[in-house]
Amino acid sequence: MSAAATSRGAPSPSPASGPGGGDGEISYVSYGGEQHLPLVMSLVDAELSEPYSIFTYRYFVYLWPQLTFLAFDAKEGKCVGTVVCKMGEHRGTFRGYIAMLVVLKPYRGRGIATELVTRSIRVMMESGCEEVTLEAEVTNKGALALYGRLGFIRAKRLYRYYLNGVDAFRLKLLFPRPDPGLPPMMIGDERVDQQIDSPYL
Amino acid sequence: MEASSSSSAAAAPSLPPPHSLPTSSDQGVWADASPLLAAACRDLQDGELVHGENFSLFAAMSALEIMDPKMDSGIERSGYNSIEEAIEDGVAPVPLSLDRTVDVQRSIDVMDHLFSCEATWHKGHTLAQTVFTCIYLMRMERTSSHAVLNSFCRTLRATCNGVISVVSTARTHEEEDLFTMSFGLPLRDEQDDKCLSILNSVEETISRQLRACKAQALSKKKTLEDLESLQDKPDLEEDYCRALLCRLRFRKHFYHVVMSMRKPHGRGLELARKHVASCLNELSLMLKSREFLKSQSNIMLQDDENCTTASGCQPVGFDVSLNSRLLSPTPPRAVKVLSWSNAIRYFEKLLHDLDVICALSLDPVLENVLHFIVQFQKSVPDLVPRAFLQTLLVQDGKLYGQNLFSDVISRALSLPDIIGDKEFQMNEFVVQLGQLVINLLKILCTNTAWQRRKLGKSLQDWSTISIQLELALKREFGETRNVLHHENMCMRVSKQLLIWTQEHAYWVASRFLTLGFELDLYSPGEYCMVYWYMYVVFTKLIEKMQLRVLASNETSRRKGKKKKDHSKDSARDMTFSSSCLLLQCYVLLSEGLSMMLAVLRNESRSCQLPSIFNTEQERFMQHFDLLQKARVPEHISYYSFKESSSRAGITDLVKYNFFKEIQKITPSLRGSFASEPEKLVELRRIEQVAEHNRIALNIISQVGPGDPSLRISFEFTHHPHFAVAIVKRS
Repeated sequence: MSAAATSRGAPSPSPASGPGGGDGEISYVSYGGEQHLPLVMSLVDAELSEPYSIFTYRYFVYLWPQLTFLAFDAKEGKCVGTVVCKMGEHRGTFRGYIAMLVVLKPYRGRGIATELVTRSIRVMMESGCEEVTLEAEVTNKGALALYGRLGFIRAKRLYRYYLNGVDAFRLKLLFPRPDPGLPPMMIGDERVDQQIDSPYL
Repeated sequence: MEASSSSSAAAAPSLPPPHSLPTSSDQGVWADASPLLAAACRDLQDGELVHGENFSLFAAMSALEIMDPKMDSGIERSGYNSIEEAIEDGVAPVPLSLDRTVDVQRSIDVMDHLFSCEATWHKGHTLAQTVFTCIYLMRMERTSSHAVLNSFCRTLRATCNGVISVVSTARTHEEEDLFTMSFGLPLRDEQDDKCLSILNSVEETISRQLRACKAQALSKKKTLEDLESLQDKPDLEEDYCRALLCRLRFRKHFYHVVMSMRKPHGRGLELARKHVASCLNELSLMLKSREFLKSQSNIMLQDDENCTTASGCQPVGFDVSLNSRLLSPTPPRAVKVLSWSNAIRYFEKLLHDLDVICALSLDPVLENVLHFIVQFQKSVPDLVPRAFLQTLLVQDGKLYGQNLFSDVISRALSLPDIIGDKEFQMNEFVVQLGQLVINLLKILCTNTAWQRRKLGKSLQDWSTISIQLELALKREFGETRNVLHHENMCMRVSKQLLIWTQEHAYWVASRFLTLGFELDLYSPGEYCMVYWYMYVVFTKLIEKMQLRVLASNETSRRKGKKKKDHSKDSARDMTFSSSCLLLQCYVLLSEGLSMMLAVLRNESRSCQLPSIFNTEQERFMQHFDLLQKARVPEHISYYSFKESSSRAGITDLVKYNFFKEIQKITPSLRGSFASEPEKLVELRRIEQVAEHNRIALNIISQVGPGDPSLRISFEFTHHPHFAVAIVKRS
């Protein structure tokens, strides 16, 4: 599986609160159980190109429910955005991974995606992750800007990563090391190489 | 199976087995499990799952949902269960029509669509979903009575085979998996070896017919004598002959291009070049035939954008879904066949790229080879030409299949005396370095995204050998720094080898860094540190280059070379000093840009990226992680960058104007590069970047870098690696 997800999910750079979007209040909730699963699935299925089976969703929300968040339009009670993530050991590094991020079109440009993803990253950081990664389509300017503002760098380009033939960027966010006493490069020397492609290996 | 372990498959022996069950044999007894499954389902509550011990949610993700069109590649089918069924239904008739004119028209459409499919395959799709969607190709024996189509298809198939073998040998990575997968398709039979002789005789017949047409036009005779016409409308005969001929000839010449380029030691390159020229000529004739073919087609089914044939007609004999079940169990990849015009453009580009390769002089000087590949990659060649280049460069572990890499290295060290020296060849460092050079050449031929990652990783190998060489030097010859009069050859060679290795580590690092710009990996907020690192690496590269040349000059001086050799040396020194000066331009550009960005940060707080989760230091560490681990260079860290950038001020920057310095260097380089057009182009670009940035810097210093009305952005309009500052005032 790939995380094409992050792509279209990100907000468009233009402030678009189109019809239906309104500017009502948005409330954010952490994944609360099976009743949220259909909401997450229908959002992602509708907005992203990569196909995911129900098993993919279950893998994420059952194992890391604390990293999945949903955004609701408080007035209409409608789910308008979601973020789905995981974290785990990856070649000697404890790393978080953002798998899917979606905000409905009329609600983009209001900072909902930033808020969703920031909540997940915060949980990852508090859980001891050293870094966070994800993939985004090279053409998705909105997503790239969003993650850039959060401190992600474009670590590498993945040639024809998506089923539709588009390249991806592997984005990475490195958290500051907890021990400021040590020059960071000394620690860097001992770190195991973590550059691999599949987030699941 | 937790829920069902108590019952067994034999639990329902009383029911009659359904008809579809295979008959039992010695290997096993078949039984119907449906009642068992039904019973198990009744026991399950909503949300429960029956699973084995080895089941995990992770493993479950590789499941594909059947009947979901996004996942199930088998679902999108035409309704034919087999090729035979499609043929029976008349999808691919032979002949293509009983009307001989229509038969020719349709044959040309099939050829054109195959041509578009072939280009689509080269562009990274599977053979099964492109070329082999052609039923005529899948069942070649059916067309044996249709010489025109049969010879075309056979030659195409043989060419595909040749291309697959080049790409699999090259292993250029990433795309080649999809490219070379053959899914058990009928890729060849014995008769393919004779494809050319059939094609030649068909070509001969048609060209005779064409000559006859012309002769008849001249003599105004009424009928064509002796010869069998292609089709039944005499006034169209000539145009149809021409349309067929250029297509058949293109196939013939392209087949020759592929076969000649595969000859060992680059022996077929000269011949290949002639066939490349012929291919290009036939392509232009194919384009010319378009007008006529369009005028003859009654129904225009496709618009020009999506049109996969010259005539604009949908071809007969293709079914895109027949092979879908052959594909591996992955979600279906959308394949959009290139339009015929785009396919023509693809082949033109391909042939130009191949022509550049064929013109290669098989120069054994490594620096020139590296330069050639980098230059070649600038035109963004596709997979096929890159694979051809790679298989030409590295054959049987030798450069062009001819030169041992140990000899390539000794030549690079300017030690021609030890070429062929067994001891040098067997030296473990030389063996390892030879392997590194082979890898380097192969990596440089891959697509730039993959290339950059592999270059980054290979830095570790270059650095490991450097360290080992350094240790070995100290161990063997001690710490003594004095130059002994009788310093032995062995020590001198080792020293030169070390410098050469370090130089190449910096060369790899510089390519790694600059490719980041081509791949769009840096955001403007990071330019300052990237240019700073580039400045450091280029500076080191020059330093190592100078050391290498000094060392080799010393070696030749000691030997008391003859006068003739000295003139050779001075020519080499000239080349060396011009490449050094060119590098000096890169140093100045990098340093200038880095300092300019630093000044802007320091004095106007622009270009700074505050972030809630990390700081610039983390971004520095991530971008240069691989260089830092490989100690390229040593003693460089975020703090070194911070220290030098925090001191940058506009007064110093204007006083020591890096961009003006460049303008002092370039005039002399212009002369040395007079015979190398692509270097002159590079020089021009450098000058433009320098000039624009010099002016930008002037404006900034006049207005004052802290002026809030200043709007500065960076663009890569003149050089892919070096930005130009655009200054605006709001």
